[in-house]
This record gives sequence, structure tokens and C-alpha cells, in this order.
Amino acid sequence: RIKGQQLPPRKRLLAPSRGQRGLSAETGLPLTRSFGYCPSQPRHRCASQGCLYLGCFVKPDSGWKKPRRIQPTPYRLETEDKISSAACGYGFTLLASNTRDITKVWGMGLNKDSQLGFQRSRRDQTKAYEYVLEPSPIPLPLEKPQQTRVLQVSCGRAHSLVLTDSEGVFTMGNNSYGQCGRKVVEDEIYSGSHLIHQLKEFDSRVVQVVCGQDHSLFRTKKGSVYACGWGADGQTGLGHYDITSVPTKLQGDIAGVNIIQVSSYGDCCLAVSDEGDVFGWGNSEYLQLASVTETTQVNVPRHLPFKIGKVKEAACGGTGNIVLTEEGNVFVWGYGILGKGPNLTETAEPEMIPPSLFGCSDFSPDTRVAHVRCGLSQFAALTNRGELFVWGKNLRGCLGTGRMEDQYFPWRVTVPGEVVDVACGVDHMVSMVRSFT
Amino acid sequence: MRPGGLRRNRPVWVASQGVTLGRVRVSSLPLFHSLLHRVSSQPCAGPRLSCEASRLQRARFGLRGPRFRKLKIGAGHRLDVKASGVFVLGIGHGNKLLTDLYNCHLTKVYTVGGLFGKATDDFSDTGNLIEKTTFDHITREKLERILAVIQGTNQKALLMYSNIDMKTQEAYELAVKGLIRPMGKSPPIITAIRCLQFALPEFQLEIHCLHETQQYLRKVVHEIGLELKSSAVCTQVRRTRDGVFTVDDALPRTQWNLQSIQEAIRNCQLKVQTELEKTLAAHEENSPLHQLDGTQLSMLCRSLREQHNTAEVCQRGDGQQKERG
Repeated sequence: RIKGQQLPPRKRLLAPSRGQRGLSAETGLPLTRSFGYCPSQPRHRCASQGCLYLGCFVKPDSGWKKPRRIQPTPYRLETEDKISSAACGYGFTLLASNTRDITKVWGMGLNKDSQLGFQRSRRDQTKAYEYVLEPSPIPLPLEKPQQTRVLQVSCGRAHSLVLTDSEGVFTMGNNSYGQCGRKVVEDEIYSGSHLIHQLKEFDSRVVQVVCGQDHSLFRTKKGSVYACGWGADGQTGLGHYDITSVPTKLQGDIAGVNIIQVSSYGDCCLAVSDEGDVFGWGNSEYLQLASVTETTQVNVPRHLPFKIGKVKEAACGGTGNIVLTEEGNVFVWGYGILGKGPNLTETAEPEMIPPSLFGCSDFSPDTRVAHVRCGLSQFAALTNRGELFVWGKNLRGCLGTGRMEDQYFPWRVTVPGEVVDVACGVDHMVSMVRSFT
Repeated sequence: MRPGGLRRNRPVWVASQGVTLGRVRVSSLPLFHSLLHRVSSQPCAGPRLSCEASRLQRARFGLRGPRFRKLKIGAGHRLDVKASGVFVLGIGHGNKLLTDLYNCHLTKVYTVGGLFGKATDDFSDTGNLIEKTTFDHITREKLERILAVIQGTNQKALLMYSNIDMKTQEAYELAVKGLIRPMGKSPPIITAIRCLQFALPEFQLEIHCLHETQQYLRKVVHEIGLELKSSAVCTQVRRTRDGVFTVDDALPRTQWNLQSIQEAIRNCQLKVQTELEKTLAAHEENSPLHQLDGTQLSMLCRSLREQHNTAEVCQRGDGQQKERG
């Protein structure tokens, strides 16, 4: 961009113009103005990393690039609208925008159980695609499609949930265990199914939906939690180990407690109350709930008496759990790569990860972790400076560090922008990024 | 980019008696002459013999002239002509400590001033002007985001040149302490960068870096200008910290006399020792110290402590003056 030549100084004949080329007032050298900058809205982008073969798009947007199986660093996904919520499932991804346009949700990846709705095949109008290679719109049966907004999406093993602001929750995908909130139909064929179920009967408006592997959790505005789906590990928390096909309210230690956040991804679930207490239920084979009980399946929510301070956010993975406290400290427990080096593989009591690993030093003492997220065997933490730190098993490059090895302690991912939110899956991750210029 | 640092084995022989300057700028000559003179004339300069005994011995052998003929002075990390700030020198035994400090690969902190709207051929504001651009679209937010990108890309380079196996528990321990650093040669790496002041068209950055040269920092300013779709030149490069030595330890030109120098040496001794012990101990598997057992290691540390003359610090003209060799 530096011009090699130098023009001789000229007398001031023209006033400096606002156009592309003017003469600078002092030296008479040409004044260059940059094009294409937009001073108003910051542009939001989506970046994904990990296994592209199934989880995300395979065909890169510029046609000359070869399709890749694995993407070890963040790659930009082009979408027309600003994406406000994303979720990664087991081999598929959902992206949602809170726009008032007709198309609000896009999906890509596996569609063998119609977890991305009915994706009409171009070759045969009656059949549906089993794999979706590009972010494709998901048609939702909304009553008022130009007024309703989609607040949040969530994905499980073979089902997905879409939360709207005024029309309840839409569920689609596999329903063999009742995880879609409707009655289980024997020998139902899920592939190429048009059925999207709508759930409205809760005690108040649903404000958060969470998908576990084969169960679903709904959190309402009043602070109560509903569950449906597979319960063999007690992950529905309803006091039994059977499947539930109708969302039922949870009791146990969370009865009457105002829950402000629920989380689940595998077979264990965590809930955080407004007073900073943590409650857990579900699978405990990996010491996730070993602080209160020796049994490996807990089917009633139990309070976890940790003395780590007031908890702000919790995230549940397949074998490990992570919480974030009000002071900004991150605690991990469970089994697997927990983030404190290869020596710590399992612990029943939460262990703190030193804040210096997240960029907090004497140079920048105000750096704090703002959000924590969990995939099946990975963890992600977002700081208040917009940096993304990841650690855990690096399946097919899903951590985005550029290397294929597992990461045993938090490591920063280079993302071209400020990371606003991240969604972790089994072998891929999607992050929502606000760009610089 | 050539890494900055000591240029070894190139003593500069000056045509004056007694002062052997290894790797020092010629303009410090008057200082060292006066030092040599003072040291020779001071009553109890020698640590081994007492003043009385030494004087008698010299009288016995008919020795005359200055007591000290040679004064070995070595310089630390290079600071070029257009830059200013902390410049570390070592006297006598301090030269060995300088080498050890160089091997610690500690970060240096610079305050870099920049100006948007111009582009020159040598990236500083005194070069030949090549281009002028507009800069009214630049905001502090945009600048900070570019700085975040720079930090991110440099972090990857840091890891690559540190030669640490990320899968080990030692890597975790080092990362917690912030000691993951390249311990050998590497291209310039910026470990931290942030914006101190921003008042269009001027801005000021604080940069923590390793193995850099000041010209590289000027180039970074130029590239920041390009990334922001404008152009920038560097107006000031000032080193505020070199390893353990900060601006507070540095002696300004008015204090370039023997007493202040001795006091400065005494004040910095402890800091230098602790830093050397810490870094050499943490990286002991990569250094010959690995072969030493516990007692030998503590003996080595004790001998380091017994050095009387540790590194000395002088400060070049404080930002306003430009040094001409």
C-alpha cells in the first residue's frame, strides 16, 4: 500500500477534497482516503472450527478451495443475518438470529433424524437431505412469523430445541425417548419427517432450553425447571429412571428455589440458583456428584455444598463440570482433561484454575472470565476482553488452536475479532465474533 | 528479522589509554574516563588488599601511575540512535552477569509513540515522506482490536519457539507462572501490547517484547496504521524496562558519577540475583545446571551473590534528545 514513487511538491491548486483523491494541503502529496468502512454498526461474524465433515459445512464459500475434513483453526461462516445464538449438537449445528424476517434459524450437518427439520431435496421433492452441507434455513410452523423472535437454540444427540419469545418451544428430531416432549410413537421413522412439535404448557414463559444427550430441560421465568426424555441415569431428575415424554416439573432440592441457569450436555445436569448455590442430578460415574453421594446415578436434584463462593454460571460436559463464581474464578471437577495439566485427571471437589492462565497478570489485572461453556470433552472460557480460551480433548481439531494435540491447560485461540459467545459440541465449536472495523 | 541483543566478541578498541570498551557507544567515553580516574584515585578501591598495605607495596616496587589501567565495561541490549530509555551496562565481573541475564531472555517494555496520517520510508517521523492518508475513521476501539490480533499471533510464535512440550505438567507449571518464553534464538516476539493514550492523530502504546530491535517496533507501528486502513509513523521509542531494571533504577545524565553508580549497583544486586535464580532454576532441564545436584546448584547461586559489581544502569537522554554517535 506504500507507493514507491514520490511526487514533486506542487503548488496548492486544489483544495483538499472529500473524494477519493485530493491534494493534501501541506505537502501537495496525494491524499488517500480508505473506502468501504462503515462507521455505524459493527459487523458480527460466525466462526467455526473442528470436524467439518459432518458438523459444519464442507463446501467452503469460495469455490476454488478444496473441501476439507478437518478445520483446526477458526474459519468464517458467511450468513446474511447477524447470528445471536448458536448451538452444536452431535454432528450438527444450529444458528439462530433474533430477526423478524421469515427465516430465523439455519442448520447444517447430520439430518438423519430430522433434527434440522425437513430439508427438501432438490432432486426429489418428496425426499429430504440426510446431510446438510451449508447453513440452510429451517422452516418453523410459526403463527406470526413476522413478529415472533427466536431467542435461543439448543442441540442434543439427535434432537433440537428452538425457543421463541411468544410461541413457546419448538422441538424436532429423534423422539425415541420422549426428548421432544411428545408421546413416543412405536417404530416412528424420523428421517424425512415434517413433524415439529410445539410446547406451550409451562407455569410461566420459558426463558432457557437445554438439550442433554437424550433429554431436554426447560427453565421458566419463575425459576422452575422442567424435564423430559431419557432418564436411565436420572438425568430427568424426576425421581425415577424411566423415560418421560411430557415435560414435568422437577422437585427435590430445587423445589421452590429460583433457578437462574441450567446446563447439560451429556447425562449430568447442573442448575444455579439466584443465591449462588449449585444443584446437580444425573450421571455421577465420573465423580460429578461424588461430593454428596456415592451412587453413580442421582435421579433427584441435590444441592452440592461447595465452599467456593457465589456461583454465577455453570456448564456441564460429558465427564467434567465447570463453574464460574462472582469473583471471576473458574473451578473444575469431574474426570478427563480438567485444565490443570496432565496430572489432574479426576477430582470430586472443585479445583480452581489460576487466573494467570486466562491473561490476568500485573500488566492487566482487570482481566476476568465472563462466561464458561462446555462441550462433551472440551471446555471454553470467555474473558471480559473478548478473548477465547479453550482446553480439553482436541477431537479433530475442535479446539481451534491450530494443533491436533489435546490441550491440558487453558490456551488462547486467535480469533479475528472480539468473541461474544461460543458453543461447544462433540468435535466442533462455533463462536460468535464481533469484528474490528 | 534479526533478533536484537548482545553482539559478542567485538570489542571496540578506542584510541585512549586504559579504557577497554566492549560493545559500548563511543559517546560514553568521557564518563568512563572520569570513572577510571576516580577509581584509580580512590583510597580503598581494591577489595583484596587494604589501602595501607597496597600503597606500601606499590611504593616498595616503585610503581607509579593510576592504580587501575583497565576497566572492562560491557553493554546490555542494544538501543539504537533514535531511541531512548534504559540502557544496562556491566563493570568488571558484571559482564558475566550480563551474559547470564541475556540467557534469561527477560522481556523488555517499551513506550512507543505513533502518529497517524503519514507514511515514511524508514517508519519514523524523520524519514522521507511517502504518503499521507486520512485517519478520521480511526477510533480507540478499532486500535485496541488490532492490538488484540497482534497479541494473538505472537502468542503462537511464543509457543513455537519455547520448545516446550505442551502435554507435560511442567508446561502447566510454567504457564501458570508466566515463564513460557523462548530460551534460545527467535524472531522478535511481542508478549503484550496495549494502548496507553489515544488522541488523534497521536497515540501511545506500551509493548512488552523479546528479541526485538527498535526498528522492528517502528515497523509494528507502520503495520498497525496499514491494518486500520490508514498509515502511521513512529515518533518515539523509549525503553522503560529491561528485564529487572526499570526507569526508577536508571541514572539520568546528571548522576553519571562514581557515587551514584556504586549506589545503583548496590540497589540492583538483590534483584538481579533473585531473577537469575528463579529463571535458571525453572528452566534447569534445558540448561547445563541440570547436571548439578542440589549442593552444587546452591554453591553456584552463592558465588553469583558474592559478585561485587553487578550490572550498572545508565539512562540515555530522556526522550527529548536524539543521540548522535
